[in-house]
Amino acid sequence: MKALGRALAALGLALACAAHAQDNFPSKPISLIVPWPAGGSTDIVLRGMAQVAEKHLGQPIVIDNKGGAGGTLGPAAMAANAKPDGYTIAQIPITVFRYPYMKERSVTWDPLKDFTYIIHLTGYTFGITTGATSPFKTWQDVVAYAKANPGKVTYGTPGAGTSLHIGMEMIADASGIKLTQVPMKGAAETNAAVLGGHTMLQADSSAWRPLVDAGKLRLLALWTAERSRFWPQVPTLKDLGYPFVFDSPFGIAGPKGMDPKVTAKLHDAFKKALEDKGVLELMDKFVMVPRYAGTQAYTAMVKELCDQERAGLMKLGLAK
Amino acid sequence: MDILNSLWAGFEVALRAPNLAACFFGVFVGTLIGVLPGIGPVTAMALLMPVTLSVAPETGIIMMAGIYYGSMYGGSTASILVNIPGEAASVVTCLDGHQMARQGRAGPALGMAALASFIAGTFAIVAMMLVAPTLAQWAIAFGPAEYFSLMVLGLTLLSFLTQGSLAKALLMACLGVVLGLIGTDVINGNQRLTFGRLELLDGVSIVPVVMGLFGVAEILANLEHTLRREVVHARIGGLWPSLADWAASRWAIARGTLLGFFVGTLPGGGAVIASFASYALEKKLSKTPERFGNGAIEGVAGPEAANNSAAGGAFIPLLTLGIPPNVIMALLLGAFVVHGIQPGPLLMVNKPDVFWGVIASMYIGNVMLLVLNMPLIGMWVQVLKVPYRVLFPLILLFCIVGVFAANAAVFDVFVMMLFGVLGYLFRKFGYEPAPLVLAFVLGPMLENNLRKALILSQGSFATFVERPISAACLALALAALAAPLLPALGRRRKAVALERG
Repeated sequence: MKALGRALAALGLALACAAHAQDNFPSKPISLIVPWPAGGSTDIVLRGMAQVAEKHLGQPIVIDNKGGAGGTLGPAAMAANAKPDGYTIAQIPITVFRYPYMKERSVTWDPLKDFTYIIHLTGYTFGITTGATSPFKTWQDVVAYAKANPGKVTYGTPGAGTSLHIGMEMIADASGIKLTQVPMKGAAETNAAVLGGHTMLQADSSAWRPLVDAGKLRLLALWTAERSRFWPQVPTLKDLGYPFVFDSPFGIAGPKGMDPKVTAKLHDAFKKALEDKGVLELMDKFVMVPRYAGTQAYTAMVKELCDQERAGLMKLGLAK
Repeated sequence: MDILNSLWAGFEVALRAPNLAACFFGVFVGTLIGVLPGIGPVTAMALLMPVTLSVAPETGIIMMAGIYYGSMYGGSTASILVNIPGEAASVVTCLDGHQMARQGRAGPALGMAALASFIAGTFAIVAMMLVAPTLAQWAIAFGPAEYFSLMVLGLTLLSFLTQGSLAKALLMACLGVVLGLIGTDVINGNQRLTFGRLELLDGVSIVPVVMGLFGVAEILANLEHTLRREVVHARIGGLWPSLADWAASRWAIARGTLLGFFVGTLPGGGAVIASFASYALEKKLSKTPERFGNGAIEGVAGPEAANNSAAGGAFIPLLTLGIPPNVIMALLLGAFVVHGIQPGPLLMVNKPDVFWGVIASMYIGNVMLLVLNMPLIGMWVQVLKVPYRVLFPLILLFCIVGVFAANAAVFDVFVMMLFGVLGYLFRKFGYEPAPLVLAFVLGPMLENNLRKALILSQGSFATFVERPISAACLALALAALAAPLLPALGRRRKAVALERG
């Protein structure tokens, strides 16, 4: 009896300590894993958010750039090694939900089980462009031409199996046309290819912005949920009659099993960051639109995103 | 006159105290990281980028640019004095530069490297100013077919580069191509040679490979000897190259400058390829190719000119089209965007003070670099003169820190160590690592462009001869291959051989 009493006392003490630790959270710097190299658009925006969030948390947020494997290496390492104490969190790019369903790819994480999703933040602005001198004035022109010339329309993407590739193929499928993808390495190449007339179209994130604004490229369609206030005349996929939004949304998560109190504190701090004027200006520069979702909503969204990714991969024959 | 007026306004921006300070800090840091093996310009720029956030946009960009072209100067110092390339673009400078140092001619080698860099750097700035818009248009005319043919031409010319056994060189090149295949196939998204490792999904990056093959292997190889102090016992002597040196180098500098500038403007091109190509070209054109690899000064002058003008040329697609041709320019693009400036066709119109301020700062920076690298060369030599028992662990430390910092991946450190051991064995058995590195860089680009060109032509190989630029490149490559077979040239070679006999 005595032994049991002691054990219970110890347990109580341990619980009290744990509760105490949560109340004190954060009592040391927090490490935010950004799975991209320093200086890229995602890194810059997250650094801006971290600066605001750390003011509300009262502890510095240290950015840990852990790039590689299409942005999955950082979250995978976190899921495998980090303690769920809230001091290690990571940006979760769309690839975390895509790679597990890709063929010939064995991954170490399960997106539905291995993370505690904290807050959903934003997504990228993808769009289809063509050269300023191209005969395609609207997306309908492209569809009409492709119907008459199956497979003749070429488009550059920043790589096979990227959101841009999957998106274009789903759009082509829905319009009953066949397009030919020319996979490139990044936006620099897709920009050059469409400018030089090597590909007829370009599907990429907002790296085309300066060229569109200078009138060298024509923006045919945006893949965002709403029209962009920068180019209000450009239709979204929904405007064009496609039931799609592709924006590779991202948020922040920790390892599985985080205390809800800790999650809530992190959520509140990053929510304030997402409402900050400076952060919003920074996001504008990369045409990122805030897309807030709280802990519950984000967790529910993950299931949907995984299904959507699997369906896209099936279409391309890249699924497991 | 417009250009002169704009340039004048640019100098007014560049000469403001904070901008001058930023320029000096940039080129100083650039030279330092160039001299120190292991830390390259990419790492340094990535680490210092947050610092630029708190200053005016032009100040930050002037500093970032300074680091880049400064490292091109500094890289040659370590190559010449210790046979360890300070950064990847100085790999070729090791070949003849270090031989010169061993023959007691470190001074002229260092001097020529700095002067060739200065001449080429200045040329690149002037050219950038004058032809930027035209050249940018020209660069985008290069599609996959043109790139493929250009690579074929490049590889053909470069096959003359290697010394020693051709079979061994080819073997190394094949190994390089295979290494380059590792990772996700860009065309269809399949994995190649990744053995299920997530770290290999994006392939092996070049930094740990080069640092291992050259940096770590050099240290291992040196440990075998009783510590011969090559750095120190080679007296630096007078830095100014002799008249004979100038006579041998002036055309090499001119050709290296033009070639480097051209290669630098191409997306995917860059200082590394430019320096290799210039070396191959000089060796090919030389009447005495056997001197190459044994301390030929034009083998230092050409590539050093090429990598500096390539560094300048690389700014053109970035500033005029917003298209970064290489990783470093991509980082610089990030720096522009952070400050709310979009490089591109509108940059000159919307932000003339930034555009011309940065260009003017490069003139100033090049003069600063000449001072840093000629009269003050002693300071950098001191950095390398530290005793080997201190220097070796330090170099290893810098290599590890540099490789780790580039991607913050411990995996890369292991890759570097592996290539260090491999590089040591290659050296022991007389295999040159240079063809491996080159094939590693060019192989994947060659494959990628071939496949892209064929997708675009719907499978027709005719595209390579139907497109004029592509056809011209292939014709030149063919000529380069056939040249030794032609009787007239054969006779000339015989004559050269007889003279030597």
